[in-house]
Amino acid sequence: MPKVGNYRANSVIYFQGDVVSDKVFVLQQGKVSLNYTDIETAKEIREIIQTGEFFGVKSALGKYPREENAVVLSDAQVLVFSVPEFEVFAQAQTRIIMKMLKVFSNQLRRVHKQVDNLLEKNEAQSPEAGLFKAGEYYLKARQYSQAKYVFGRYLTYYPAGRLAEQASRYLEAAESGSVKYGDGRGPAPLMVEATRQGQSSRDSSMSRDSSMSRDGSMSRDDPVRDDEPAASSVRAAPGEGLSDAAKSYYDAVSLFSSEKYKEALAGFKRIVEAKADAEYVPKALFEMGRCLFMLQQFELTIKHFTQMIQTYPKHPDLIDTLFYLGQAYEKKGDADRAKGFYKKILSMEPDEDASIRIKAAKAQRRLEEAGRG
Amino acid sequence: MADLAGFTRFARTCHPGEIIFAEYEPGDSFYLIQAGKVKITKIVGDTEKTLDILQPPEIFGEMAILEGAPRSATAQAIDTVKVLEFNRANFEVLMMGNPQIALRLLKLFTKRIWDQKRRFMILTLDDPQAKIADVFLMLDETNAAVRGGELEGEKREFRVTMDDVAHWAGMSPAEAQTLIGHFANQRRLELFPDKIVVKNINDFIRFVNSRRKK
Repeated sequence: MPKVGNYRANSVIYFQGDVVSDKVFVLQQGKVSLNYTDIETAKEIREIIQTGEFFGVKSALGKYPREENAVVLSDAQVLVFSVPEFEVFAQAQTRIIMKMLKVFSNQLRRVHKQVDNLLEKNEAQSPEAGLFKAGEYYLKARQYSQAKYVFGRYLTYYPAGRLAEQASRYLEAAESGSVKYGDGRGPAPLMVEATRQGQSSRDSSMSRDSSMSRDGSMSRDDPVRDDEPAASSVRAAPGEGLSDAAKSYYDAVSLFSSEKYKEALAGFKRIVEAKADAEYVPKALFEMGRCLFMLQQFELTIKHFTQMIQTYPKHPDLIDTLFYLGQAYEKKGDADRAKGFYKKILSMEPDEDASIRIKAAKAQRRLEEAGRG
Repeated sequence: MADLAGFTRFARTCHPGEIIFAEYEPGDSFYLIQAGKVKITKIVGDTEKTLDILQPPEIFGEMAILEGAPRSATAQAIDTVKVLEFNRANFEVLMMGNPQIALRLLKLFTKRIWDQKRRFMILTLDDPQAKIADVFLMLDETNAAVRGGELEGEKREFRVTMDDVAHWAGMSPAEAQTLIGHFANQRRLELFPDKIVVKNINDFIRFVNSRRKK
């Protein structure tokens, strides 16, 4: 059974950094504040707990050190659950878990995005190239059924991708390998045959050994040249579970990631114009703006994003949009307007999206220094 | 085990070797293992690295709640595997009917939030050398939480590779290698084929704190 705990004003229920964090609390009466230092701004944050609200849940369930000081502001009574007691209680009240799941999944999404934005994008592999590489690995290892799965998926998500033609060739190779030899068997230079079909005739005179090493180096780079036409006869695996809008969205994303901004723009535009999917329309609108920016159409970028914000004032990518607007004005040489957007970003909820805030602060500083110099 | 009899329509059986999802694939569902073993792997360079082997009643693929985000690893059936497949459409029904699963998922989320927050703190350090040190502090904190208390002494062993450290620090393996080399030259770190040893974890704590924004 949970115990009742009474705490005097100015006492501390737990301290930030406490490693033993095996209790969950519910405030019954009085006033408790969670005090912590914001990880990005280093500002002191005070979060007042409402009566009836749980606290200490994340660190207790996740078994990690407390992340804040739980300070009693006026004499307080709390219910103290051990983790097993909390689990019994919560399982009888599934709605409580559902509510927490929603809160936690939103927090997770936010912090994930913050991390993503801080990572150097160019170091991370694009999902498209990564998926292709995984398929290549399995084919080389003669794990045909795994290779079949991966290339099938590749062609579902990126039917017009940079590597689509190669992927469908590899898919065929995996299929025939699996039929002819079975998983884990078959001749080793299998990748060579698969690659060779796509190479010009002068390569076919090369010996098997030399073309193998050639293949090895190609797989790390870009086996398909940019000027090659997109695959014409792709036998994509059925896109189970993906709606049409989702499929077109990923197609356009793959065009964007292969820097075909014009084509991507057209793709996103079609999704917006079809108005078929409430989820993908705002997403596609945002991506259209990004395409315009990449195409250096800064005038149009500004117009597009301004309209988008008017339609979707609470767009999930609002803060990124403001940053693009700032960048677009900056590119146009309008430093004052650009600063205005960076300032706006910095005035928004501090926990909204920390990494864009960092970028905005940097951009602002740069503009100010340029203004002085 | 939860009563899942009413949810057989969400069940899926996978043959040995079958890929449930591949790394980099966009994902919108996550899975509860009911029978069999699932291998979580990642292709690093020219080898397939096994990150984890999971069995009932573990959950995997839960990061699918980050809609459209690519999978960070491949899930493959080791033997005949039975899973329940969750997605946004059946999520609420399944969770309301199975509080144990909901609770397990809740715990996974708390863990993931902490992982990401901690990672964020590493990435916001300006000094790359401090980023490397902070990766070890993070690993030590995770270990402490699993152990449920502090360790005696100042020496710590970590079963990680330089590539793992590079990943967490958000830098290229080459850069991480140089920085880890600096620590090794200063004899603050020792490198072994299967582990990295930090000589004095408190020294790292002081170093990182001195580099954090005031």
